[in-house]
Amino acid sequence: MSDQTRKYHQYLNQGELWLQYCLNCKKYIFYPRSHCPVCWQSELEWRKSQGKGRVYSYSIIYAQSMTDHEVPYIYSLVTLEEGVRLATHIVECDPKEVYVDMPVEMAIRKIGEQLMPVFKPAAPV
Amino acid sequence: MTKKPALITGISELAPQKNPAGQRTLALLAQAARLAIEDAALQKRDIDGLLVTPPSEDSAFMWPAQVAEYLGLAPAFLNMVELGGASAAGAVARAAMLVERGICENCLCLSGGVWDSQVFNTLQGKMSVMSQAEIDYELPYLPMGFNTGYALIARRHMQLYGTTPEQMAKIAVDQRFNALQNPLALFNQAPLTIEEVLQSPLITDPLHLLEIVRPCSGAAAAVVSRSKSEANTHTAVSVLGWGEACTHNSIVYAPEITISPVKQSARRAFAMAGLKPADIELLSLYDCYPITVIITLEDAGFCAKGEGGCFVADNDLTYRGDFPCNTHGGQLSMGQASFAGGMSHIIEVVRQLRGEAGERQVARNRLAFVNGNGGVMSTESSLILGRAEDE
Ligand SMILES: [Zn+2]
Repeated sequence: MSDQTRKYHQYLNQGELWLQYCLNCKKYIFYPRSHCPVCWQSELEWRKSQGKGRVYSYSIIYAQSMTDHEVPYIYSLVTLEEGVRLATHIVECDPKEVYVDMPVEMAIRKIGEQLMPVFKPAAPV
Repeated sequence: MTKKPALITGISELAPQKNPAGQRTLALLAQAARLAIEDAALQKRDIDGLLVTPPSEDSAFMWPAQVAEYLGLAPAFLNMVELGGASAAGAVARAAMLVERGICENCLCLSGGVWDSQVFNTLQGKMSVMSQAEIDYELPYLPMGFNTGYALIARRHMQLYGTTPEQMAKIAVDQRFNALQNPLALFNQAPLTIEEVLQSPLITDPLHLLEIVRPCSGAAAAVVSRSKSEANTHTAVSVLGWGEACTHNSIVYAPEITISPVKQSARRAFAMAGLKPADIELLSLYDCYPITVIITLEDAGFCAKGEGGCFVADNDLTYRGDFPCNTHGGQLSMGQASFAGGMSHIIEVVRQLRGEAGERQVARNRLAFVNGNGGVMSTESSLILGRAEDE
């Protein structure tokens, strides 16, 4: 596990999602790494995510031979308000209700052995 | 074209096998190599270049030298081409460069491998085809391997452009019609209907079981040459253009998941050949899933962006249709024989351009477009092939 991934998990273990921010590009990057993939500078600052985003795409997984995780579950790509996209689960959501562009907000849940960020439908404003 | 393009002078393809028991990649490659040089009417000593796709059960360390040693070759150029499913097309493109630059006279492009579900369906097997970033940031969420990546693409394409399950299923159906005339295909016994595809189990929505390629074992080879041997009675096939592109490894980080690097790879290939999509008479497009074909058609310029679904619904993709595509059945009916799955698209086009496709021979067979696709529409290698006599 890289130093950056270890740091990512340290924040998750505190119940927070933190992202790297490139001080040169003034943009967030994901996944965490040593150098900004845009400018190749290494001045990257960790900043706390607001945990809000939208469903970019999703797939409801019905068959999974690899683990005993309960099926179906909603695998999704979520675009955060910070501008980065990540793989995640949509939870507390009927598979029939999920849609592309659905507003979501982060929760941290245990998947397997690790605490990972997942997303649930955003509370109505 | 100012320079004489490289020629594909020999091909071979082993029948894909479901059962991996007793199979070895090196043995499959050796068999494919022997058949390919026989097809090209060459001797082993004529082969001075070796491009090979990655190993499956063997170590990747020094793989080209391992293969050269096994085959008793002492090539002037050797390399492993690792572009996932685009490796075979990438190998032919590289071989064309080597031949046109005068480095090789006859370059052997070898592809194949053994697929053992006992090995690859384990966590360890899945991790062996993942980057560390995928292991750290995707695997914890239990994607169903490549299937889920393409499911995400399909879902977003449906949302943005109104692409329907029926349109995607039709690709599998037309290709199955083609496979019924291909004795090598794994699935060539019975036709398929759109209803049957859509009634097969949803695996990773919106992908049904019959829209997911079946991995298997096999090998295929192509010989790329500066000129054809006098004893070779087959029509030679010219590599008129090629292009490559990559925008991401994991689909999570693709700039827009419904737009593939085919946009660049095809544009580069057409520019090199001095041709346009309307000139093409026959297509062979990497089809790990139907959505791959739809997006390739759009991004290569055969139809407008977003119209791929309607395009496949409105055109007959069979060998007797108005828009022949994947006339061997595609990998969806042929089976995906490891890295030879990508080669199957090249082999079929060579057969068609030679006029040797038997019952499934197409009528118009001068110019073809081939696309190899690796990862989750990550690496793309496009080829434009033509009948050499016609230049
Ligand atoms: Zn930067």
